Amino acid sequence: MPPDLQRLLNPRTYRTAAAVVVLCGLALLLVAPLYANLYWLRILSMAMMFATLAQGINLIAGFAGYPAFGNVVFFGCGAYTTAIVMVKLGGPFWLGIVLAALVSLAIVLIIGPALLRLRGHYFAIATVGLNEMVKALVANLTPLTGGGMGLSIPLPPWDPSQTARVFYYLLLATMLVGVAVTLWFRRSRLGLACRAIRDDEVKAEAMGLRTTAIKTAAWAISAMLTGVVGAIYAYWFSYVEPPAVFDMLIAVKSFVIFLLGGAATVLGPVLGAFFVEYVSTTLWSHLLDYHLGALGIGVMLIALYMPNGFVAFLRSRAHTLGAFFAPQAQHSR
Amino acid sequence: MLFAQVVLNGILLGGLYACMAISFSLIWGVMNIINLAHGSMMLVGAYVTYVLHRRFGIDPILSIPASASVLFCIGYLLQRIVFNRVVHTSIFLTLVLTFGLDMLLINVNIALFTADVRSITTWYSGLALEIGGVRLAYTRIIVFVLALAMTSALHLFLKHSRTGRAIRATSQDTRAAQVMGVDIARTYAVTFGLGAAMAGATGSLIAVVYTFSPVIGDTFTLKSFVVVILGGLGNMFGAIVAGIFLGVAENLVAGFVDPGYRDVISFWLLITVLLVRPTGFLGRPSFAVTRA
Repeated sequence: MPPDLQRLLNPRTYRTAAAVVVLCGLALLLVAPLYANLYWLRILSMAMMFATLAQGINLIAGFAGYPAFGNVVFFGCGAYTTAIVMVKLGGPFWLGIVLAALVSLAIVLIIGPALLRLRGHYFAIATVGLNEMVKALVANLTPLTGGGMGLSIPLPPWDPSQTARVFYYLLLATMLVGVAVTLWFRRSRLGLACRAIRDDEVKAEAMGLRTTAIKTAAWAISAMLTGVVGAIYAYWFSYVEPPAVFDMLIAVKSFVIFLLGGAATVLGPVLGAFFVEYVSTTLWSHLLDYHLGALGIGVMLIALYMPNGFVAFLRSRAHTLGAFFAPQAQHSR
Repeated sequence: MLFAQVVLNGILLGGLYACMAISFSLIWGVMNIINLAHGSMMLVGAYVTYVLHRRFGIDPILSIPASASVLFCIGYLLQRIVFNRVVHTSIFLTLVLTFGLDMLLINVNIALFTADVRSITTWYSGLALEIGGVRLAYTRIIVFVLALAMTSALHLFLKHSRTGRAIRATSQDTRAAQVMGVDIARTYAVTFGLGAAMAGATGSLIAVVYTFSPVIGDTFTLKSFVVVILGGLGNMFGAIVAGIFLGVAENLVAGFVDPGYRDVISFWLLITVLLVRPTGFLGRPSFAVTRA
């Protein structure tokens, strides 16, 4: 909480105000499908999808300090797991979701302990390498994955507007699960241990923390969340192909959202996702040929001017804001 | 005979990989910035060469100074205006910042040169040297020699010139270098400029042997990364050995297993080496791993 705001409001007022804002937001999201058209419903759904992906990044990068830049690999694996379950095995969608989470979990359990020995840039790029490697494997295992042609999943059995609503609520539920997991994670011993590792890994280990197991557990939760979102994406779009679901742009977008929301916060990724999705949609519709460059500039500006997210940005401007809203606050310190 | 052909082609390709990696390694080693826009910078160099060849008929080899100068200016200004603000801050920021730059450069390249796949054909493009049944394209030989020459030139510059000594001092101990009168901000800008200039020159070489389009930069960035990891950060000899190793390994896989797995091998190598020997083949201890 920004200190100047804290001075303006007493803690209980602040908490009540925050709770009211969050509940209003939730209520708006719950009733939005009754009023929004399909275009805006899709944008909101996308925003919630990215909010969950950013939440996944938040768990491993924000709390544990390990920049899993290539986390999109779990998104892709989740999407392909669902596609294979539904197309090749004729299984139901929910089985795809469950298996997507389990496949992501398995990948982390197999390679996590090894990759998590790496730090900083080395870890970041090793995860990117992992993503590229899995992408190339999927593109070449044609009998199972359809190779470069991708896989077409049978369309959902509802009419288009019904489908849009189903996936909207599904993504809303996933996002809420993500928030709940983060809320639990922040207060759990696991989350505390992760923050200890982020701040000083050697000391954490000296204190008797089993750092490898802790980091692997955090990454596993992050991966399962990401895998489930991938699974929903696959059925939502009814089509998966390697460049689309292993796209580094998805990874970078969720990373920017995570940065913007502020590391190791609970609601930061959600706020960041709605902001970024709104801005990039606006850019997309106004600057068709230049939206990639405009997005690039936007990303650079965020990294330069809001490196610690919205909240820290507001905090650094709190003096000006405080003076604007309540001039006497300046004298009451 | 096919085997010899494949291996020799791999070696020639490896020279180019070494050249890509050495500039990437310079920026990383001195400023701890992973430049995700490295590949796109090379492509800017490739397009400078393409335009000079198309409009004015200048031989691609002769346009190397032009592409290097253009990229030096871009790199110098970028570091001065943008990157100096985030040096020694969070790794998240530099990754996101350079990825943003990558998106911007890709878009600029598409806007200026369209997304079409381009290539440069010179009068010597189809010619090849034939030794005992093995055909080696002259373009590849020229590119190999030039790549090694440029890599060595950068090495000698860093080793013996006054600016080079300032760069090395800054990378070893920024504060001590500052006390000795080195202008850190300027040295960083020159380093990024040099790295970008090398990338631009490498881009000219790429234009001679590859077909290229604005979106293929990421592959080159990741290959540079693989070579730096294999050869050890800031190690010129290591980069050459690792570049050639990667070139040969890729060509063997593409030639005898399946061309589709060409890229899989480099990332497989990357992850294996990071886990088994994080300092590279010839590297010295570095900050790669938490525990020794």
